[in-house]
Amino acid sequence: MPLWLGVVPFGLAYAVIARDAGLSLIETQALSLLVFAGSAQVSAVGLFARGAGGLEVVLTTFLLNVRHVLYGMSLARRVPMTPRERVVGAYFLTDEAYGVSIARDAHTFPFVLGAELSLFITWNLATLAGALLGGVIPDPEKIGVDFVFPIAFLALLVPLLRRRADVVVAVVAGLVAWLLSKWLPGGLPVLGAGAGGALLGAVLTRKEPAE
Amino acid sequence: MSFWFTCGGMLAVTFGSRLSGLTLRMRLPAFWLRFLHFVPIAVFAALVTPSLQGSRGEGGIRVAAAVLSGVVAWRTKQLALAIAAGMVAFWLLRLLPG
Repeated sequence: MPLWLGVVPFGLAYAVIARDAGLSLIETQALSLLVFAGSAQVSAVGLFARGAGGLEVVLTTFLLNVRHVLYGMSLARRVPMTPRERVVGAYFLTDEAYGVSIARDAHTFPFVLGAELSLFITWNLATLAGALLGGVIPDPEKIGVDFVFPIAFLALLVPLLRRRADVVVAVVAGLVAWLLSKWLPGGLPVLGAGAGGALLGAVLTRKEPAE
Repeated sequence: MSFWFTCGGMLAVTFGSRLSGLTLRMRLPAFWLRFLHFVPIAVFAALVTPSLQGSRGEGGIRVAAAVLSGVVAWRTKQLALAIAAGMVAFWLLRLLPG
């Protein structure tokens, strides 16, 4: 399935960055097993590397993952589920699993869970491979592994820029974070520019039709 | 120890978001739907810029390599390819004298 192909390099990149940020093999894997949210995990390890506090990391995670409320509401309308199935289905819910489940006609819980679990297993295997790889890179400082941070986020960002407002928000949030990072420590610039940029986007697009 | 508190907090807010959507009946106002669309864009952009310059006086070549990496990401939409292109460009530019 092509879906897995996209997850593998993302998982590898996450784990290499996590190890470079100082996380152990166990910690790197724990985030993939327990949190299981790619963009939030990559952002969290990026923040760890900047010396961000735990609260800043958790708030940024919330900011990024609160969109899952929407996926859940949409899935619950289409797929009949028992209360226990809802809990299991919620734990493994991701953007990709939601996308696949909505795209197919087979709207049953086993189909949703199958899509979710295949992504969970692939994500965790890619994490393990990347974490082992990241652990054996000799002298990461010298070869400039820290440069992976900005270009990984840039590569995640660029495909999201489809409309003019997307580009405006990215440029403003990037500039604001860069300026704030000269005065504020840790994760505050990211949290501030992230929330502020999203607010700006919502205001800018108030006259446009929903996507 | 603080890692595991942070990990627990991340688990709580992530699982909480996923479960509340599947169990609660509610509607979000259009403004917040649009807000959520822009969150990853703003957060990713905010993560790029502070770490772009680096701390070893290689700001110029890092920005140049990042621009190339961004172009590859834009043309191919392949994460792995964009990161590889950026790293190779960075290493090659470092080898240049001056």
